[in-house]
Amino acid sequence: MMIHTGDSKYILRTSLFVLAITLFVGVLFTQCMEEPKKNFSGQEVANAWADMALYITRHTPANSPTFASRCFGYIGVTMYESMVHGYSDYVSLAGQLNGLDKLPLPQQGGQYNWIASLNAGQAEILRTIYIQTSDINKHKIDSLESLFVNQFKGDGADAEIIERSIQYGKSVAAAIFEWSKTDGGHRGYLQNFDKTLVIPTTPGSWEPPLYGQSFSHFPLHPHWGKNRPFVKPNAELPAPKLIGYNKGSGSDYYSQFKRVYEKSQSLTQEEKETALWWGDDPSDTFTPPGHSYYLGSLVLRKTNAEPIICAETYARIGIAVADAFINCWKWKYQFYSERPSSFISRNIDERWQSFWPDPPFPAFPSGHATQAAAAATVMIDLFGAEMNIVDSAHWGRSRDELRNVDFKPRTFTSFWQVAEETANSRFYGGIHCPMDNEVGLAEGTKMGKNVNLLKWKKSETYATAKD
Amino acid sequence: MLLQKTKLRNFLIVFFVVPASFGFTLIHGQPVFKDVTEESGIHHQFAVFEGMFGGGACVFDLNNDGLEDLYITGGMNDDALYLNTGNGMFKDIFKNSGLEKTSHYVTQGVAGADINKDGWVDLFITTITTRDSVKVIPRAENLLFLNNGNSTFRDVTEEYGLKDLVSFSMGVSFGDINADGYPDAYIGNYFQDYEGQLSAINDATIVNANATSKGYLLRNVNGQSFSNVYSDYGLSYKGFGFGGTFTDFDNDYDVDLLVNHDFGYKASPNFFLENKYPDNEYMNRAKELAMDLKINAMGTAVGDYNFDGMLDYYVTNIRFNRFMVSQGEGKAYADKSKELGMGYVSISWGTNFADFDHDTDLDLFVANGDLNPNDVPMADYFFENNNGMFTEKAPAVGLNDYGIGRGSVVFDMDNDGDLDLLVINQKPVLNYPVNSQTHLYRNDAAKGNWLKVALKGIDSDTHGIGSRVEIVVGKIKMIREIDGGSSHLSQNSTIAHFGLGAATAVDSVIVTWTGGKKQVLVNQPANKMLVITEAPGEKGNKKAIVGVVVGTMLMAIVLVRYFITRRKGYKT
Repeated sequence: MMIHTGDSKYILRTSLFVLAITLFVGVLFTQCMEEPKKNFSGQEVANAWADMALYITRHTPANSPTFASRCFGYIGVTMYESMVHGYSDYVSLAGQLNGLDKLPLPQQGGQYNWIASLNAGQAEILRTIYIQTSDINKHKIDSLESLFVNQFKGDGADAEIIERSIQYGKSVAAAIFEWSKTDGGHRGYLQNFDKTLVIPTTPGSWEPPLYGQSFSHFPLHPHWGKNRPFVKPNAELPAPKLIGYNKGSGSDYYSQFKRVYEKSQSLTQEEKETALWWGDDPSDTFTPPGHSYYLGSLVLRKTNAEPIICAETYARIGIAVADAFINCWKWKYQFYSERPSSFISRNIDERWQSFWPDPPFPAFPSGHATQAAAAATVMIDLFGAEMNIVDSAHWGRSRDELRNVDFKPRTFTSFWQVAEETANSRFYGGIHCPMDNEVGLAEGTKMGKNVNLLKWKKSETYATAKD
Repeated sequence: MLLQKTKLRNFLIVFFVVPASFGFTLIHGQPVFKDVTEESGIHHQFAVFEGMFGGGACVFDLNNDGLEDLYITGGMNDDALYLNTGNGMFKDIFKNSGLEKTSHYVTQGVAGADINKDGWVDLFITTITTRDSVKVIPRAENLLFLNNGNSTFRDVTEEYGLKDLVSFSMGVSFGDINADGYPDAYIGNYFQDYEGQLSAINDATIVNANATSKGYLLRNVNGQSFSNVYSDYGLSYKGFGFGGTFTDFDNDYDVDLLVNHDFGYKASPNFFLENKYPDNEYMNRAKELAMDLKINAMGTAVGDYNFDGMLDYYVTNIRFNRFMVSQGEGKAYADKSKELGMGYVSISWGTNFADFDHDTDLDLFVANGDLNPNDVPMADYFFENNNGMFTEKAPAVGLNDYGIGRGSVVFDMDNDGDLDLLVINQKPVLNYPVNSQTHLYRNDAAKGNWLKVALKGIDSDTHGIGSRVEIVVGKIKMIREIDGGSSHLSQNSTIAHFGLGAATAVDSVIVTWTGGKKQVLVNQPANKMLVITEAPGEKGNKKAIVGVVVGTMLMAIVLVRYFITRRKGYKT
């Protein structure tokens, strides 16, 4: 650029340029100086804690769908109970949940900041029930808690109210954690595999997978079914029926596995994407119950639901998935049924390999299907059957090179559609028969209904509980 | 072999298949391999820790008497040091050998090399934990023993800087990564290190225990200590490590590294590391060369099965083993297992290429065994190579043992010129319908001529570990690498062996020592063991090239000056 001194056009151009720079810097400077502090709404706080629960679930080693589901139950119930007494139309779960007779009550006539109570309660329950998580993760919990406490205190609020609310939230979480210790799953990550277990070897029995997700040759949490469900009626559900073993090629049993085999020979790219999207391997993701909890957070943000609705939603989803895994595992270890990999390699095609590796536990019924149906059932009761959902949980994950599959967000128009696709993903993955999924969906629905039948609101009677 | 678990299946195996196979071999005359375990004095079973891995063996001459001996790991049982006393007999001299410390550990794999270049082969034994105390998080140091030269050994683990490498280790292999003559080691670790104190164990440390692990790349520092140069060499990967095999896949006479990982489809796949010697760097070429196998890779056999001058790799796995055949320099390898007749369903561990029948091509042995605690009997495989196609013939040759197979090694146990076989088997965890113990098989039917080549390194490793021996017989060129550790948790004999068919002499024997120094012998008669001592002098192609270039330039200058002066008629 040639500079001719005295060139009037140049002077004008340069002046405008300098002015623009000055304005830009000035704006930037003032922005930095006067950046308005972000005030998080009550629902933003609630949903941020759901995000944190999902983060901790995802980033804690040796996690499992069983243990994770249990944690969502207690985390969700804690959020609800830390707030419920501030909302006159809502009813506490104390006295309703299995073994939970009472919880700390707020002071009569005392004033509370219920979001501050929620904040303290969530931090406390996460720290205690995920005590095995890393120090870095514990710092993250502390930081999130501090971020919100500073906001509450800085709002010109009464420090006494804030402090009272924090203590209350903590005490609710502590009491719930004490209650959790007696359900049979406390510190369950220390007993992932029972090496003294004797595995049945009769025809049709589950075998440790040869193409599997886990280095353990023992199945996961064989005693989980003995844990205490949150909802008493869920503890009393009768076992479903399994088609009797029959390797004859004309039998119903055989045709279950034949369908898996035939589907595996003609998987579309969409079906492969579905199989991977819902895979939710605990070592890489927030687990299947986490996916349900995440879907709750999606809907709550989309509908800008009030904090108490957030708390109720997380409590319902948490209880639903927790009970789903207890019952599902009870039946898995009652039936000890085989995966398609066992039956197909023995009776149809010796060289067959499932598209997705087998998780380390028996097949019937499917955990994915059971928990997805339970979660969908509570969501439908809360929000209605139809809902536009864009599930972005695994958006940004790098391409699965081995299987030639990308992770692309998935859209749905109803909750039940999500549950069905979750179940189908296991069929496409080649790790479940249709019966595992159908029975899982049916049983999960029953459990979800039992969660809906709890008394959540004073104004509701049992008759108005939606089907 | 279908993997059935019913009692009926086991009944059929015990009462029909096994006797039928035995009868089959009887009808067809002497078995090719005779199970001489009983008469040899070898009495061994590997006992697992909590249903886990192991074991392996290494072949070495512990007392330099020309007879190859064996060290076999025992896991929860004591290890064994079998001295070859000749005539196919072995004596366990573990007691009072100085190796008794290993009895306090759950051992896994073993490899032998002359660490301090004193002429005696030393032993490096991998461990997963101690036996004395039940550790919440099982970890232990690996054990290094120097050979005293009198059939005893001394523990130098601490002296050599290895005491603080507390790990869950699987296989160990030797290779001279920097061509300085001192054998270095690669150790595959299955679970990550736990360096803390026992008192600091809490829930967080326990749940972290079963994460993947880095390996150890241990540089031998002048024969006096080992230094972990993993990150110095540019390595940072973590995997469920079973170990690695040093091998020169790019024919540039330095030792590259093939790394086996379990659960490669879920955690890290196999690595295929090119040695950038003389730079201190290993560069991963696995993806571009299609060697990033995403399988449960347990063991490796190395051999040039089709005489194209490029090494091929057989890698064992759960269900489908891989035979990665070189397609040429710099090109991706291709899995030819099914195409070449090896497409069987199995759970495979140890594996060895060898010309067992002396017809010049490489046959393949594979040790099979179920995972614990399932224990479904499955027979080992013997793939006989005929014109580049493999046929499974274990029943016919007497190798279809239904024990729980793991490591395996080939060596000439009776110095009769052919290769025999030792297969380590585990003690069953649950009820098991047939016998499962370590077997020694004597090769009784190799017809044809042979050549054995033992290397004696001076600047290089004492036994030439990692060096290459090639022979030319008429139109055929064969390659062998001196094994520093391969198969599964094991190490084959360091004496190279070739089958020559009908040829009575070998046209040339070309030794390329690690680093590039070559030695050539011509017209070697068959049916002998050649001992080739390393010639003194510069090592390495690179130095030779520089020397040649400089020398040529000097000569050119001299010649030019001479002709110039002549032309000018200059007279001295």
